[in-house]
Amino acid sequence: MKSKKSIALLVALVVMCVPALWAGGAQEAEESGAGEKVEVDIFQFKVEFKDQFTDLAEEYMQENPNVDLSIKTVGGGDDYGAALRSRFASGEEPAIFNVGGPQDVADWLQFLAPLNELEVTEKAFDGVLGGVTMDGNVYGLPYNQEGYGLIYNKEMFSEAGIDPAGITSFAKLEEAVEKLDSMKDELGLEAVIAFPAKETWVTGLHLSNAVLSQEFDNVNEAFNADSVEFKYNKGFQKLVDLQNGYSVQPTLSLDYSQQVEQLFAGEKVALIQQGNWAYGSIAGVNSDLAGKIGFIPLSVEDGVGDSIPVGVPMYWGVNKQLEEDVVAEAKKFLNWMYTSETGKRYVLEEFKFIPAYEGYDVSKVSDPLARDILDFSARGKTLPWVFMGYPTGWGQNVLGIDIQKYVADKMSWEELIAHSTEEWESARQ
Amino acid sequence: MIYAGGLPIGEGPSALFRGVAMPGSIKRRLLFWAFVGPLVFAFFVVVVIPFLWGIYYSFTEWNGIVRSQVEWVGLQNYIDLFDDEQFIYSFWFTVRFAVVSVILINGIGFALALMVTQPLRSSNALRTVFFMPNLIGGLILGFVWQFIFIQVFSALADVLNLDFLRGWLSTPETGFWGLVILMTWQMAGYTMVIYIAALQSIPGELLEAAEIDGSTLWSKTRHIIIPLVAPAFTINMFLMLSNAFKLYDQNLSLTNGGPFNSTQMLAMNIYNTAFQFDKMGYAQAKAVIFFMVVATVSIIQVRMNKRREVEY
Amino acid sequence: MTGKKRFILFLEVIGITIGIVFFFPFYIMLINSFKTKPQIFQNTLNLPGGLEWSNYVKAFERLEFLQAFANSMFITVGSILLLILFASMAGWKLVRTKSTLSSVIFFMFVSAILIPFQSVMLPLITLMGKIGFLNRLGLIFMYLGFGSSLSLFLYHGFVKSVPKELDEAAIIDGCSEFQLFRKVIFPILNPITLTVIILLTIWIWNDYLLPSLVINKEGMQTIPLQMFFFFGEYTKQWHLALAGLTLAIIPVIIFYFAAQKYIIRGVTQGAIK
Repeated sequence: MKSKKSIALLVALVVMCVPALWAGGAQEAEESGAGEKVEVDIFQFKVEFKDQFTDLAEEYMQENPNVDLSIKTVGGGDDYGAALRSRFASGEEPAIFNVGGPQDVADWLQFLAPLNELEVTEKAFDGVLGGVTMDGNVYGLPYNQEGYGLIYNKEMFSEAGIDPAGITSFAKLEEAVEKLDSMKDELGLEAVIAFPAKETWVTGLHLSNAVLSQEFDNVNEAFNADSVEFKYNKGFQKLVDLQNGYSVQPTLSLDYSQQVEQLFAGEKVALIQQGNWAYGSIAGVNSDLAGKIGFIPLSVEDGVGDSIPVGVPMYWGVNKQLEEDVVAEAKKFLNWMYTSETGKRYVLEEFKFIPAYEGYDVSKVSDPLARDILDFSARGKTLPWVFMGYPTGWGQNVLGIDIQKYVADKMSWEELIAHSTEEWESARQ
Repeated sequence: MIYAGGLPIGEGPSALFRGVAMPGSIKRRLLFWAFVGPLVFAFFVVVVIPFLWGIYYSFTEWNGIVRSQVEWVGLQNYIDLFDDEQFIYSFWFTVRFAVVSVILINGIGFALALMVTQPLRSSNALRTVFFMPNLIGGLILGFVWQFIFIQVFSALADVLNLDFLRGWLSTPETGFWGLVILMTWQMAGYTMVIYIAALQSIPGELLEAAEIDGSTLWSKTRHIIIPLVAPAFTINMFLMLSNAFKLYDQNLSLTNGGPFNSTQMLAMNIYNTAFQFDKMGYAQAKAVIFFMVVATVSIIQVRMNKRREVEY
Repeated sequence: MTGKKRFILFLEVIGITIGIVFFFPFYIMLINSFKTKPQIFQNTLNLPGGLEWSNYVKAFERLEFLQAFANSMFITVGSILLLILFASMAGWKLVRTKSTLSSVIFFMFVSAILIPFQSVMLPLITLMGKIGFLNRLGLIFMYLGFGSSLSLFLYHGFVKSVPKELDEAAIIDGCSEFQLFRKVIFPILNPITLTVIILLTIWIWNDYLLPSLVINKEGMQTIPLQMFFFFGEYTKQWHLALAGLTLAIIPVIIFYFAAQKYIIRGVTQGAIK
């Protein structure tokens, strides 16, 4: 009796699975039934624009019925590298995948097709291809440009009588922060700044980049450097101290969402170090505020004080190990995405990208953070992104962690500099 | 064993296949492998070969990308281990966590077992509640507790005016205790179930006799119950200890090693070495050391278990 | 009231208090999963003002819950079926064959219990990649390998208590070995099979690390995998995250209440054996 019952149970469970398998099987059948179509697998990391990107792919497939684009998205920074390796290891190599900078290009070189002859490559702005160029070959196409700095609340600044345009040095920045701090009650602030030390990408990559981009001229220089000097050592420390000291505490558990959505969008702080990607999150919580924000520079004492770092977060690479027609179609699609009228419209209006290519009417860019970045760029007040040239894992897992230890008083600043330098050097041996 | 001392080894089956054309021993062997083969095959491909291959890997350097170069580096990975502060830290953190959590899980589990074996009206309901967390995946529970520690604790701090409830998971200490609380909450019910089984196997007459003798609950517990549940205690120790050493999911979802990698346990350290620093060979060397530690701890446990069993 | 009764009452109160503390995380999760995001930020302890079902709708969609559930189900059931079949076969045969080979094989399986997953994961994934096994079926195969030690151990122990005369009687009746196994032995193993099912279900259903390394295609993820991605994608969107977590927990709770007796027994036996 009992055995019958348990067999019946198992059968029932198997039956429950059948629809799933069937669906899976049907999908596979459909894919293989595509016949003459050229299949282009895209494996990308940007979660935020997944839906809009899929729409664009649909449009492309309607124009080009011989191509079948399939998009796979793996989000969350760290995971992408591991997922990509696993993807390649499983033999299902994507035709289009993402590379971040010189280290990725070096790692994946055997798979990367040169993209020099494409129209889109020629249209790319000066300097945006540096990190993916090796021996004269271009191996990646920029997604877009992004910039970061200190995002400020315009109303609070005017209420406090601070002119954001006047902040062109660390001393002025410090002064503004102190002023805001003295008016916390009137402004209804919990603290002036929200400093998310928990997010090692904010500290170990972005914040450090504001300093190290004045030491390395570009990402390749950082990539080839045997050591790191920390030329603006004191300026770096002061920037950390300022942000941490005037922040909502404890900073060690403060994460991106608390920083942006809870505290800044909730108007509990007046200033946060973030990039234009935060616009969507802010607008999602407080649409009133979203129109009244902008960037001020992340000033470094004794260094550049009036510029913001602008760079390319990720590049598209094409897998040259696949069949020729797949490689050709992959290139064609990328070219189309950034040069055709439809593609451009998507890039600007749907993806809300700051383009890294010529031929765009950027006056259509509407969000105030992106506008500010364009403004800084137009005035030539930008610093490069060099953190993709740090040794693998160094920015987040060494420096970012050490900054956490520093703000927790578990490590002195001298120890931080010594340890980070040592780790950089040992990685570059 | 009822059948001990029956037919001499191997004679039974061969006798049974008399009359079949195929020679008995070949047929017997085929049958043996027909039954045992599939499991052995999977076991070899999934466990044995990777295990041995892993030892080889630990002497190499590789970035994890297919078709890229694997370089022989000899003992270098093992030498580097001794200079790896984070690895050494993670090792001791794991030991500390294992000791504290195993004691708490067993202590609370045993106390709960004692409680719910009393004639309480709520006994069954309580057992159900205590055991429930155990069935849910560590990853999911870690996320739930992240919410509790960060959001709920700070809300409680406001209501109750208790400052120590603020900023949980933002310091190494609260991160450590956060992990301990999560694991205790999750696993105490498990050890409870095993202690209940042990308690129920204690003959009732023994306890009644003690009661007639006028023993207090405490002396009953000390002199009768504790010695008799000792085997269950060993089992629980063993399971919880090896569980604590291998912990990954809860670590990932609750603290992800933070703040500043101060709650990064061994398993996570290995994972991150492989997938964030892209050092596969080095990570594998850590994994080999990890195996040796876990195996040693387990063997010591089993030995102690054996000795106990002889004693009782 | 006698001292004894008073003591029991006291225990009852203590017990219920601890029970409430144990249940508190689930309660908090549940009530907050029905709040809007601002409500959570304002107060986590209050009951929700209204029921925000949209959290569940969104979490359900974003988790691709049905797909993930079916994947988890497929992988769990598939692995368990294979493990039960092959481990019971091997367990029986190993006990009934008294030879050095048989003892060596058994000893190898048992010692492998000492090998932690992390020390084989990197080479395993490389190897599986080479033979094209980084997919759902490959995952089932890997569970077959990793679950083999425990399952075999339990079956082996149980078979030892089954009298050998049964086998012999059946063979004399003219059964082949396979018939004997299917008709006579396997049904006798039912109690331990149930234990094995329970233990494997708890492990495989909840496992995160192995699937995270094996499954790299959309649409194939199990519930824990989807939950991890979902959580990463909506960091600290607690209203959605908590709804998603609740969804992920519901099937387990149903399983628990449906089979509580067997689960408790299975867990106990699995540990004590």
